[in-house]
Amino acid sequence: MKETIRKQLDRLRAKGAHYVDTRWYPYEDSNFLFMWNGNLKANNASSQSGLGVRVLYNGAWGFCASSDLSNLEAIYEKAFDNAKIASERVTFPVRLAEKDAIVGRFDSPNQIDPFTIGLDEKVAFLKKMDDALNQPGVAQRTSMVEFVRKQIIFMDSEGSEIEKNIIEVFPNIRAVGIDKDGGMQQLTYAPGRTGATRGWESIDEADFLKNAERLVTELNQLLAAEDAPSGKMSVILLPGIMFLQTHETIGHALELDRILGYELSFAGGSFVRLEDFGKLRYGSEKLTVRANALEPNTPGSFGFDDDGVPAQDNLLIDKGILVGAVTGRQMVEEANAKAKKQIFAGSSGANRATSFYRVPIERMTNINIDPGNDGSLEDIIANTEYGLILDGDKSWSIGSNREQFHFACNIGWLVQDGQKKQVVKNPTYRGETLPFYNSLSAVGDKSTWHVHYVENCGKGAPNQIMQLGHGIPVCRFDNVQVGE
Amino acid sequence: MSTQIIDLLKKLRHEALARGLKAMIYYHEEDSYLMRFANSAISLNTNEHLVRLDMLAFEDRRQVSYSIIVDPADFATMLEGLDKLTEMLPHAEPLSYDPTFPVYAGDVVDERAYDPALAALTNQERLDYFNTLAQALESADVKLSGIFSSGTTTTAQINTANEHTQLFRATDAQITAVLSSESLKWEVNAEQSAQKKSDLDAAALHADLALLVKHYQEDPAVQLPVGKYTVVLGPAATAELSSMMAGYAMDGAAYKQGYSFLKEEDQGKLIFSEKISFVDDPDQVELYAESHDQYGMQRKKFALIDRGKFGSFMWSQDAADEFGKTPTGHNVDHFSAVMSAGEMPVGSLSELLEMERDEDILYIPYIHYMNVVNPTQGMVTGSSRFGALYLTKEGGVQVPYNVRLTQKFTDFFGERVVWMSQKQVAYNNSSSYGRRNPSALLLPRFICVKGIEISHSNPSY
Repeated sequence: MKETIRKQLDRLRAKGAHYVDTRWYPYEDSNFLFMWNGNLKANNASSQSGLGVRVLYNGAWGFCASSDLSNLEAIYEKAFDNAKIASERVTFPVRLAEKDAIVGRFDSPNQIDPFTIGLDEKVAFLKKMDDALNQPGVAQRTSMVEFVRKQIIFMDSEGSEIEKNIIEVFPNIRAVGIDKDGGMQQLTYAPGRTGATRGWESIDEADFLKNAERLVTELNQLLAAEDAPSGKMSVILLPGIMFLQTHETIGHALELDRILGYELSFAGGSFVRLEDFGKLRYGSEKLTVRANALEPNTPGSFGFDDDGVPAQDNLLIDKGILVGAVTGRQMVEEANAKAKKQIFAGSSGANRATSFYRVPIERMTNINIDPGNDGSLEDIIANTEYGLILDGDKSWSIGSNREQFHFACNIGWLVQDGQKKQVVKNPTYRGETLPFYNSLSAVGDKSTWHVHYVENCGKGAPNQIMQLGHGIPVCRFDNVQVGE
Repeated sequence: MSTQIIDLLKKLRHEALARGLKAMIYYHEEDSYLMRFANSAISLNTNEHLVRLDMLAFEDRRQVSYSIIVDPADFATMLEGLDKLTEMLPHAEPLSYDPTFPVYAGDVVDERAYDPALAALTNQERLDYFNTLAQALESADVKLSGIFSSGTTTTAQINTANEHTQLFRATDAQITAVLSSESLKWEVNAEQSAQKKSDLDAAALHADLALLVKHYQEDPAVQLPVGKYTVVLGPAATAELSSMMAGYAMDGAAYKQGYSFLKEEDQGKLIFSEKISFVDDPDQVELYAESHDQYGMQRKKFALIDRGKFGSFMWSQDAADEFGKTPTGHNVDHFSAVMSAGEMPVGSLSELLEMERDEDILYIPYIHYMNVVNPTQGMVTGSSRFGALYLTKEGGVQVPYNVRLTQKFTDFFGERVVWMSQKQVAYNNSSSYGRRNPSALLLPRFICVKGIEISHSNPSY
C-alpha cells in the first residue's frame, strides 16, 4: 500500500502539484460503553479505515477522502481537481514552512491495550461505579468509558513517512440530583492523568470509587445549598474549571488560523493581532503558558502532527507577555509575510485532523499553565479575604473573538476571611479575557497541578472533534463579576 | 443505486439470520462537497464519499451495536461486523425493561427531498455562486469568508423481523457568507438553505450583504449600555434558541435526566406566547423531512407548542420503552420543525429598517456560542454576532458592538413576544460533525421580543 501511495504522490507532483500528502488509516477502532441508572444504554464498537489526500496546487488546497480504496488514482485525481478550481480564487498563495523529511514512528505510551480487555471486565467496572453512585440524593447516575485505537500512516511528497499508533482511554462518572428548589444539580468526575501512560491501566478503580463517594457527598451538600452570591469578588478556579477557562480563552485565542481569519465563517476570530506577539500583556506576571505536546499521558501528545512536524514544547505566554501561538506550516508562513518580519521561526507542530476524512487544521496540543509559587490550595484559600472556590464545567459561552466569556460551574464554596465555608449552588462568572488574566493574583504550586483531557473540542468546517489536554494549577483571580 | 443498497441490506439480513442474530441494520451514505472561503480566497475545497453501517443486535433484554465506515464493495468486512455483534452480545448487561424490536409494515422509499440537479452541482457553480454574492463588496480591508456545503445523504434500514426496507434520500445545501473588516474586526453575514438547485439565489445574499456592509461602513458604532431592550431576532438566532429548547426541554429522555424546565403536568398549559405554534412537520420537504422513523412509525405532525400551550414531549422508542410512554415517531436523525408565522408584514432586512417604530430596537441576527446555564430554569447565554443593528426610534441606524444575553427560553418565546413576521424562511442548521445529516427549520423571518436583558456589552468590535 505504501508503495502505491508513494507512486500517487510522485504522479501528482509530476502533474504540477506543489505538494501532496496522504494520511492512510489502516484502522481506527473505538469502543463506547455507557450505563445510565444501571442500564447499559450503549455497548458500541466501531471501526473505520480509509485515506485522505491533500494537494497544494498554485497556492491552493484541494482535499478528497474515501473509505473505498479500490480506485486510489481517482481519489488523488479528485483532490487535484479540487485544488485546481480552488486556485482560481487565491489572494495569498499557500506556502509551507520548511521542515525536514522525516521517517519516524510514534507509539503512545501504554501498558495495557484496552481492546485486549474483555467486555465483561469493562461492564463490571461500570457496574461498580453505578453501584457506588446509587445512594440517597442521587436521582440520575451515569458512568462511561470510551477507548480508541488507531494507526495512521503519513506520507508526503517531500519524502516523509511516519507511522503513528495511538491508544486513548476516556472514562467518567456523573451524579445528578434535584435540589430543594426543584433545580437540577450535577457533578462529574473524569480523572486527571497522573501516570506516565494512557492505556487501560490509567483507569484507577480505587481512585474512581473514592471520587464517586466524594461526588455523592458534595451532591447532597448542593441539594441543600443556597444560591451562590453575586457581585465582584475573588474566584479560586480549581483545575476542573480552570482547564476550560484556559482552553477557551487562551488556547483557542492563540490558534494562528483564527488570528489570521481562517475561522471567521464559523468558530470565530481572535482579539489577538500579529503585532501583539512579544508585546501584549495577556496576564499578570504569574501567568506562564506553554503548548507542550511532549506530556506523555494525554491525547494532546501525538509524536508528529499531520504536517509531519515533530511534537514540541513551546512557550505561548511568558510571565504574562504573549510570545507564541498554536501553529502549522501554512499559517506561520502567512503570518510572517503579513507582519513583514519573522514572528514565528517555524511550525509548532499543531496541525491535526480528527480522522482520515477531514483536513488538518491548527489544534491545541496540551495548553498548560506552569505551576506557581503561591503554595497549596489551602495556602491560597488562607490568603483570600472573600470569594468563591469554583469547580466543574456546567456551561461555557465565549465571544466570537474570545474577548469575553461566561462560565457556569457545577459547585462553589464560599471563602470568607481565609476560610473555606459552605457549599453554594448555581455559581456563574463572566469577564473580559485580558482584564481577567491580568487580575490573576495567585497560582498554585505543583501539588495543585493536574492534567485534564478534553475529548470533544469542536472547530472547523467541515466540523472536527479533537482530543487534547491541559496541565493546570489552581488559579485565583480578583475582582471578578460573579452571578450574572 | 437504490436497488444496490436494498440488495446489500437484504444480503446482510440473510447473513444476520444465518448467525441467529435478531438485528437491525442501518445504512448511511454521504456524498459531501464543501468549498470554504477565507480572506477572500478558497481556503479549502473538499469532498468525501463515505458509507457507514450501524448494526444493532438484541437478545432478550441485551443489546449491542457495531458501526463501520466501509468500502461498499467490501462485504467481508461487513460480515466481520455481524460476527463482532455475535461475539459482544453475551457480554452485554440486560436492561431493566424490554426493548422494542421494529417490525416494518411495508417497504418505504422517500426521495421527496432529493434533487438530481443539486446533487450534480459542480465546483465551478459553487465558485460562481460565491463570486456573485460577493460582487463589488470586497476590498483591501473587507474580506470574504464562508462555506458552500452541499451533498446527498442516503439512509436505509432493514431488520431481521421481515424483508421490508426503508430508504430515504435528500439533497441539501448550506451557504454561509461572511464579510469582515480586517482592520476594524466587524463581521456581517448572510445565509441560505437549499433543498433543490432552484432554491439557490446568490443575488438575494448579495443584497443582504450589501445592505449590512453599507451600514457597518457608514453608521456610527456604539457600545450599548447594559439593560433591557426590545430585540428583533433574525432566523439564525431563532433557530439556535428554538432547536436548543426542543433538544433540551422537549425531549422525553432529556426531561427524565433533569434537563428540562418543562414538566409532564405542563402539557396543555399556556407556557409560551399564544402567537407561537411550533410543530414537527414531516410534510416539509424543504426541511429534509422523512416520512417514517427508524422504527417504521409513520411520522405525523407533532405539536411541541400549540398557540402557546406546551404540546408534548418527544419520546424515542428507547425512552418510551423505559418509561412506559408511547413513542412519538422521533427515532430520526433530525426533526423538521416549523414555527408559525405572525402578522407583521416585514419580510426582509430592508423592510425592517424602513418600518415605522416608536421605540429603539436592537436587531440580533445571530447568537454565537449559546449554552445552557441552568437547564431547570431554561436559562441560556450567548453573544450577538454577524450584523447586529441598533434602530433608533427617530429612524436612525447604529452599529452596536457585540452584546451578551443571559435569559430564559420563556423570556424569548413567552409573553414578551410583540410580533412575528408574516414571512417564513427555511434556516439550515446542519452540523457537519460526524456524518452528514441535513436539517433545517422553517421560521418567521423576524420575531420581536421586549424586555430582553443585555448583561454585557463589548467596548469594541
